[in-house]
Amino acid sequence: MRHLPVYILIDTSGSMKGEPIESVKVGLSDMIATLRQDPYALETVCISIITFDREVNQILPLTELADLQIPNIITPDSGPTFLGKALEMLCNRIEVEVQKGTPEQKGDWRPLLFVLTDGKPSDIQVYENIIPKVKNKNFASIIACAAGPKAKIEPLKKLTDQVFTLDTMDATSFKKFFVWVSDVIGVGGKSVGTTDSLELPGPPAEVNIVI
Amino acid sequence: MANKITLTANDGSIVEFYDEIKAQGGVKDVYFSPDKTYVVAFYRKPINANDRERITNIVGIYRQRIFDTPEGNYWKNLFAWPTKMVEWNGKTGIIMPFYDKKFFFSSGPFKGKEKEGKWFASAKLRNKFLPADQKGNWLTNLHMCIKIARAVRRLHAAGLAHSDLSYKNILVDPITGSACIIDDDSLVVPGKFPPEVIGTPDFIAPEVIETKHLALDDKQRKLPSIYTDRHALAVLIYMYLLNRHPLRGGKVNDVNDSGRDEELSMGAKALFIENPTDKSNRVKAQQLSPAELPQGDPAKMPYTICGPYLKKLFDRAFVEGLHDPSKRPSAAEWEDALVKTTDLVQPCQNPNCEAKWFVFDNTTKPKCPFCGQPYHGQLPILNFYYAPSHGKFISENYRLMVYDKQTLYKWHANNLVSPSERTSEADKKPVGDFHFFNNQWILINRNLPDIMDVTEKKPIAIGEYVPLTEGRQILLDKGQGGRLIVVQLVNN
Repeated sequence: MRHLPVYILIDTSGSMKGEPIESVKVGLSDMIATLRQDPYALETVCISIITFDREVNQILPLTELADLQIPNIITPDSGPTFLGKALEMLCNRIEVEVQKGTPEQKGDWRPLLFVLTDGKPSDIQVYENIIPKVKNKNFASIIACAAGPKAKIEPLKKLTDQVFTLDTMDATSFKKFFVWVSDVIGVGGKSVGTTDSLELPGPPAEVNIVI
Repeated sequence: MANKITLTANDGSIVEFYDEIKAQGGVKDVYFSPDKTYVVAFYRKPINANDRERITNIVGIYRQRIFDTPEGNYWKNLFAWPTKMVEWNGKTGIIMPFYDKKFFFSSGPFKGKEKEGKWFASAKLRNKFLPADQKGNWLTNLHMCIKIARAVRRLHAAGLAHSDLSYKNILVDPITGSACIIDDDSLVVPGKFPPEVIGTPDFIAPEVIETKHLALDDKQRKLPSIYTDRHALAVLIYMYLLNRHPLRGGKVNDVNDSGRDEELSMGAKALFIENPTDKSNRVKAQQLSPAELPQGDPAKMPYTICGPYLKKLFDRAFVEGLHDPSKRPSAAEWEDALVKTTDLVQPCQNPNCEAKWFVFDNTTKPKCPFCGQPYHGQLPILNFYYAPSHGKFISENYRLMVYDKQTLYKWHANNLVSPSERTSEADKKPVGDFHFFNNQWILINRNLPDIMDVTEKKPIAIGEYVPLTEGRQILLDKGQGGRLIVVQLVNN
């Protein structure tokens, strides 16, 4: 049975400390609980979480939805946002964790990538160098979420055209964002239209689309 | 408390609901009526003239043809059919009955959630997540499939194609062996109302996937129809009875792109995992996770465990008809084969067997294919014969496996009667029953006025019994279509 690998990259730099990161945690655990009620997701979805601040950590290796436990997410008091390094780690982990198609064995579904940040990458050089490699990884979708007033959209748009902004970083907006993420993850089990192959659900009202 | 809204429906009746969205589907928002007997579902986007006409027909003439009939009440259990249309704030809504509570999990980790068929159709979900008391047994799953086939047969008889049959659009309850087709507002009338969806992955017919890149008006483009419903129905039955997908095997059709591989494996290159001659798509059991076993491995649980009638139809659906839609079995054929298969089942003698029932196969050493428990003891098999012309009986290739306290019905006694929505209350009562009594198998006549022991040449009065001994011939009904049984005894 093919898996659907879902990678979630979460900004844990100093500015996320406090309410923002607590809201993200609640949003994540609600999302996992919702997905666990969805038979399609329970059968196929695997999730990995990578956090990035001055350190980059894969706090959750790619794990089946049913078996995973969300580890505690901690944020330093201050420090840079190494999104570039996080994407490097992502590329390495995908090599190891995602089953590639071989003549003998079916490969996993194309992975989904969600990036959540409230700032901008501090390691600009690394970030720009890794982007072509990320695009080569053949993601089904890359979705970036710029949360709060200080999040910079421009760098994210180099990574993907699907950039969303959350005006506020409170529990309600993060919750809506994660509800939407779980809709995106669950789309494979839904009816397919006669005119389009795969249509992502529309984003929630609180999320602004940057085109 | 949300405001109560009162509207007048298209048929002039009053419709009430609370102004609070209780559920959201793909295209509709759902509101509840105060008495919770119906829901009102509003399309989020304005609907076009074509949709309006289609829905008007669905709540009108198509509904009346199926439900305003003597069998109407029967069908109400099998469909959540829209009954009326309303307009509110520029939006169009339909009124549908509330789903029966048996279609919601009443306890366990999924309490309150709809019983979507997927839970019961996947080996992994069944083995790892589903509470044991929610699974029903193999016989109730067979009953569930009968309901689905019957409902689809009725739609097709009305010239309607569902166009999106999937475990999402059919609620099931394996405990009581029930099923209910929902989302009936997207029905397709071939040639009149074109489909809006091509279906749900796992159930889309190969020819539809193969041609989905073509323009909608291209003559080569294949869209959902009664023929593609037949494919979806066959997949549903296969999955509910065997808990694996008939086309998901080990063959890789595109090494580099899993999406393309999926498209080929379900479309142009689709191949039955148990195809008797082309073995290139066999399941590689070593690639399955432990939770997918044993059902995931056809070598352990081949489709032949469903018995001869269903095997034949699976062959037509997935071998001959996979790429040749006209060869696929109709819903009526599935219904008939499923009903006859219920006459072949035996209770498993292992009290801990999860399947509890299995199709008895006396060609090999009989054992339960699910738990491996061998069958011990003597067992009568009743072979049915009928007389197309007076006095000359020929075999029907139809048999009834007897077990203790099993019942005989009118449709066994006479081949002109078949169990369906038309079966009268009187005919639903057993006409006889079987017992292992004083060390022999007997049939007690409860309501067969002219049953006769042909071997002994004597009638069997109501309340009397006849022993089931090897070779004994019993005429169940002297009228037209009346069946003769010839008893065969197997010893194990």
